[in-house]
Amino acid sequence: MSNASQSRSWLEALLQVLAQRSGQPASQWAAQWAGARDWRWPTRRSEAWRFTDLRCLTQLDPARLHNRTAAPPWPDGLSQGSSRHVALQLDGHGHWRAPQGEPPSWPHGLMPLPTEDVTPGQVAHTVIPSGTLPLGAQLNGVTPGPSLGLQVSGPDPVHLALAIQAEQAQAWLAPRVLLVLQPDARLCLSWHVAATAQAAVLPMVEARLAPGAQLEEAAVAQGCPGATFLGSSFVRQSPRSVYRRANVTWGWGLSRDEPFIRQSQGQAETHLHGLAVARGQSLVDTHSTVYFDGPAGQLRQRHQALADDQGHSVFNGRVVVPRAAQQTDASQLSRNLLLSTKARIDTKPQLEIVADDVQCTHGATVSCLQDDELFYLQSRGIGREQASRLLQRGFCEEILQRLPRAALAWSSLQRLLEIPVPDQP
Amino acid sequence: MTSTETTPVCETPVQTGDVLLSIENLHARVEGKEILRGVSLRIRAGEIHALMGRNGSGKSTLSKVIAGHPAYTVTAGAIHYRDQDLLALSPEDRARAGVFLGFQYPVEIPGVSNLEFLRVSCNARRQHRGQEELDTFAFEDHVRDTMAIVQMDPAFLERSVNEGFSGGEKKRNEVLQMALLEPLVAILDETDSGLDIDALRIVANGVKTLALPTTATLLITHYQRLLDAITPDFVHVMAEGRILRTGDKDLAMALEQRGYDWIDGADGADTPQP
Repeated sequence: MSNASQSRSWLEALLQVLAQRSGQPASQWAAQWAGARDWRWPTRRSEAWRFTDLRCLTQLDPARLHNRTAAPPWPDGLSQGSSRHVALQLDGHGHWRAPQGEPPSWPHGLMPLPTEDVTPGQVAHTVIPSGTLPLGAQLNGVTPGPSLGLQVSGPDPVHLALAIQAEQAQAWLAPRVLLVLQPDARLCLSWHVAATAQAAVLPMVEARLAPGAQLEEAAVAQGCPGATFLGSSFVRQSPRSVYRRANVTWGWGLSRDEPFIRQSQGQAETHLHGLAVARGQSLVDTHSTVYFDGPAGQLRQRHQALADDQGHSVFNGRVVVPRAAQQTDASQLSRNLLLSTKARIDTKPQLEIVADDVQCTHGATVSCLQDDELFYLQSRGIGREQASRLLQRGFCEEILQRLPRAALAWSSLQRLLEIPVPDQP
Repeated sequence: MTSTETTPVCETPVQTGDVLLSIENLHARVEGKEILRGVSLRIRAGEIHALMGRNGSGKSTLSKVIAGHPAYTVTAGAIHYRDQDLLALSPEDRARAGVFLGFQYPVEIPGVSNLEFLRVSCNARRQHRGQEELDTFAFEDHVRDTMAIVQMDPAFLERSVNEGFSGGEKKRNEVLQMALLEPLVAILDETDSGLDIDALRIVANGVKTLALPTTATLLITHYQRLLDAITPDFVHVMAEGRILRTGDKDLAMALEQRGYDWIDGADGADTPQP
């Protein structure tokens, strides 16, 4: 059987299992998912999936999938709620609960949206053209489960910490979060996603930012070999809004992160900072798209990747600047560190610029550790191995310094950054 | 070369006059080109040596070969450091054993905190000497005290190693590292270059403070002005990969007045070798 037909069979089996679990009449699900059976399963012949192999995902057994979660190892202090802060973790039914298990106590400025107002895909369909939903969002959409919809209001920042922990093999977790930021509202959203077993985590985030609203998102996603992360986010920005995203991804057998941002009338700020660490046989793929629909929008994007062993990092940064988006100011930089002869980096800036009065820059570098830097550290008594790790940490720090202190407190991130004690002389 | 030692050792005490560094007929090449063509030099505890010479004469190459830069290949000769074969040691083991190179162009390392770098370096040297490692708090106190030697702003501890430092700040950071590592042999490669008058005075005072009867210093410089602040016991002039002439501080003054052409034409055979 060919890979394509194997994937098709796997998808059929998955859809069947998810339909059974939905608990809704078969005819209703059949109607809702009829389109899903027509998906074009990504193959490596398509440009967007040229470097990305989905076998890690399709090695999951649809018949054994479940949605059980585990308690995340919350850092001290982060799990406690306050008048401006709420911490939530995903439970085995797709609901978000406070770490002690009770329903959330919402801080001032954060209010759940009525269920009928939380339709999955409502922002996504205003951000990307119809029929182009990425695979992660499609699979999320066909997974039964509730959505978390929140309205954010008021100029005082509200902090929302979300944690997902998958510890049992064959876990299939597809949470959906919708955020509606009122004018001038400010939200600090922090994600921590971890998988320690062969599992799949497919979060989908949708956010609508009213004029002057600010969303600061920090995401830490740590997987393990055999685990799959398919993340998709859709952010629609009004003028004067600010969206800042800093994310760190490592350890997954397969990770594909696809943020889509649309500045609906320009005149907004978007800041994207990503760090991907691909070690072992990990494949870490980021495909980002920023659309400017109006003038004077701003983008600052920096993606850094480190590939070692047989790790593979893929980055595709698409920036769309049509004629209406005059005076756009966009910069994109992809910096990559290649540490092994068997590791691989594929990076591609994709700037589609039609407007003629814009300032759009991009750059991509791939290098190994610099001999002069290594020698400098060695000449101060630091062993070569430790010097190498210090330099790798330094490379990561350039993105990590964008993360809020609370995100840095997660022990998984500390382990990623661990500086070993000096070599034993 | 790899890290060779496996257990901490206590450094044997040094007496003034002990030979710390002995270079014999050293030949070295880089990228297939022979740069050092028979350098011999002996440096004892308590001495300050100055090494001068035209650009390209081999001064910096000599300093990098001593420190163990992997780009340079020694093709003949030997370097002994306190009776140890220095060339058999990795760069980090040389540093841990007490050989320090102050870089002419200190390297910028984005993302690596200067404080963390200094602490790891200092502890590597301390461990070699059989001293207790300093924890974060103890080290911070220690480094802040030590920074006074070079009048350096503690704010530089929070920044990445040398990133965005001015030329003078980089050189102060080099001398700070020297102060923290407490080397027995310090080689300072054009530490005076790029310094204004005040910075030169501060750096020179720092180097003088750190020059002890039990340590040795090799200053690589082009200018008399550093030697006005630090009086060398010996001045060597290099040309074409060799030490052509050796004298005392008067030799540096004569060079300042008469230039290197004077050396080319002079017979250096009667100059005293240390």
